[in-house]
Amino acid sequence: MKRYTKMEYDSPEEMLFGHAKYPVKGKRGIEFGAGHVVPIIKVAPGEGTENSKETMVSECSNIARSAAARAVNVGLPSFMIEQEHISQQTNNPDWTGACTAGQAEILEKYQEEYGIKIALQATPADIRDEEKGSGFRTSDQYQKVIESIEQSAENGADVIGIETTGGKSVSDYGISRGDIKAIIFGIGVLGSIDMEYMWTEISSICKKHNVICGGDTNCSQSNTAMFLAGGLTDKDCSHTFAAITRAVGAANSLVAVEAGATGPLKDCGYENPIVKAISGVPISTEGKNAVCAHSDLMGNLIAGVTDAWSNESVYHREEMGGTTPQVWLQATGYEAALMNTAIEAGEAETLRDLYTLTDKYRDPQALVLAYDNAYRIGQAIVEYGDDPYKRSIAAALEAGKIINEAVDSKKMYLTRFERDTLDSAINTLEKLPDDSDKFIKQCIRRYKRKVPDFDPKNYEL
Amino acid sequence: MAYEELESKINQKNIAIRYNVKLEGPAIKPEEHPEVIEILPDEEPFKSIALAILYEKKDETLDLVTKALDDKVSPLDIINKGLMAGINAVSALYTKGIYFLPDLMLSGDAMMEAVKECEKVLGHKSETKGTVVSFVAEGDPHDIGKNLILMFLRAGGYEAIDLGRDVPASKVVEAVKKYHPVFLTGTALMTTTMTAFPKVVDALKAEGLEVPAIGCGGGAVRKDYVESMDMTVYGVEAYHTPKLADAIVKDHEDWRDLRKNYSDVVGEFVPEYS
Repeated sequence: MKRYTKMEYDSPEEMLFGHAKYPVKGKRGIEFGAGHVVPIIKVAPGEGTENSKETMVSECSNIARSAAARAVNVGLPSFMIEQEHISQQTNNPDWTGACTAGQAEILEKYQEEYGIKIALQATPADIRDEEKGSGFRTSDQYQKVIESIEQSAENGADVIGIETTGGKSVSDYGISRGDIKAIIFGIGVLGSIDMEYMWTEISSICKKHNVICGGDTNCSQSNTAMFLAGGLTDKDCSHTFAAITRAVGAANSLVAVEAGATGPLKDCGYENPIVKAISGVPISTEGKNAVCAHSDLMGNLIAGVTDAWSNESVYHREEMGGTTPQVWLQATGYEAALMNTAIEAGEAETLRDLYTLTDKYRDPQALVLAYDNAYRIGQAIVEYGDDPYKRSIAAALEAGKIINEAVDSKKMYLTRFERDTLDSAINTLEKLPDDSDKFIKQCIRRYKRKVPDFDPKNYEL
Repeated sequence: MAYEELESKINQKNIAIRYNVKLEGPAIKPEEHPEVIEILPDEEPFKSIALAILYEKKDETLDLVTKALDDKVSPLDIINKGLMAGINAVSALYTKGIYFLPDLMLSGDAMMEAVKECEKVLGHKSETKGTVVSFVAEGDPHDIGKNLILMFLRAGGYEAIDLGRDVPASKVVEAVKKYHPVFLTGTALMTTTMTAFPKVVDALKAEGLEVPAIGCGGGAVRKDYVESMDMTVYGVEAYHTPKLADAIVKDHEDWRDLRKNYSDVVGEFVPEYS
């Protein structure tokens, strides 16, 4: 497998929304990273619709129909629907096939009638259980995930994505206790081993069916840190710790690209600007138009170098302005229109910089994802690109350095908790062994004791 | 226009303010906080044990507890006067925003290990305020919220039974029959897994069982959905759980009362209950 040991972009200034070094084109003509930003709509099926295949197929079709109708009504040139599958769909791969086929048929009708360019992303759920003895790579659940990916690709999806969960039990332990070693092990080592395994399989399925092999995300881990970190006055995860965790998440999400993903990378990967800086693949991101799903502290900044702009997720229900597929596609659609107007008018760099500056010093988590800093973290990763362990440490240390520089120049201010956790993490990171085998042995001993669900066999360790 | 040029024109104070930094009080030693002074014991070895918990020092806690047990100090006194005092002080600092989740988790880990040592000498489980059973909804693999709830409950003096992830209603019913909990908690991340909650309620009713309340929360769970069934109360934050349990145990409140009094019970403004 190819590992990234050099940057695909020569400088951060080259990075821009709507533009990727390696654009991708779907079978229905939609392009990502080829000069314009594509809005995304993602809607979670309403409660009760999981009770039968028929109600689930109907629900997914209604979501597609609502979104396409609003897209036409407000004049969007293109959009993508991402359907994140719920466990009941992935547990029943025939449901996945029927839901995907139903959505694809509706979208094709709109494309034929109006010429609007539409893509459908199918994202089967990672229903594997990390529990001891569960057989992460051999269980029925694993087979169903793979079968669901096949069903999605066969039945009309343009893009395939997934949110893999390898290493989550260890990283959850680390996030709740501020244990940076658990972050490096859970995300940088275990997550990377699992992602390589999964994406080797997924990319071969995508190639067989000629669909875009989208990407993965560190959602289940870095976003757990971000959600626990919460707002400025929340008391759970330190925001400097969450920022470092995000940088490690980039070293992890890059593995999907190394194993064959071409982008657009998954929207909830806030680490995607770093992965784009390294690999040049188009990315999806989410920020201010994802407030329907969660709060973050980088609502504008994260649009700076995006290629597809998402709402993350919303209940399928009615709001005053219409159904949620209509309302939230309109929101992402108008934001994409602003970016595309800036591109057409030759002002895209200015808008990128304004997006960045609105949030850069709002929080350390935003600071490390500003495109110039994302580029620096990318450089740190590729310096040790061949070794997922070492590049995770390099990413974390570079994030720490970026935060400290901003503090020294009196642009970023930290609380004592943020200051202490940052110092403690850097201190631990600097003392970790050079040899990944030694680190892995230490961690297997430590976390087998502390994390009941952790099973080294799931990672062939 | 260069990036730095744009940045130099901006007054950050007009863009974003880090209120957490702005409002942070002066640093004090945790044991000097007025509420902690009230909680900490004066008598040894309990004071040292409580301080070791307060400073999240697991090894030191275990050493002190082992020595106290060797010195024939009552294991129940060690738990109640030392370990619980320490964790109560940690909880007080967490509530005040001085301590954070990792402090609570690490202190909780130390306390749980030390309680086990005391129980070995005691020969049985120590007395708690009551038993709470926690589960993640059927079909849902996301359990960090449930794990936080377990730690908050144990730190709050409850026996917390962990049923794990992806738990079918029948297993919850079995656990209710076995443990007779004062409170049940269920968590779900998704709209389509929160539908497990009414199944749990129906399964309990079918067996003629009733609990004072089932706290339902997590991810995409909505208050209006939770309140569309009996026996349930919408839980907003994991750290609210022991306060809800206290209201059940001490004030004999049930799900109807908790729905009405939620903000008062947890002692803070909760937008979902405003």
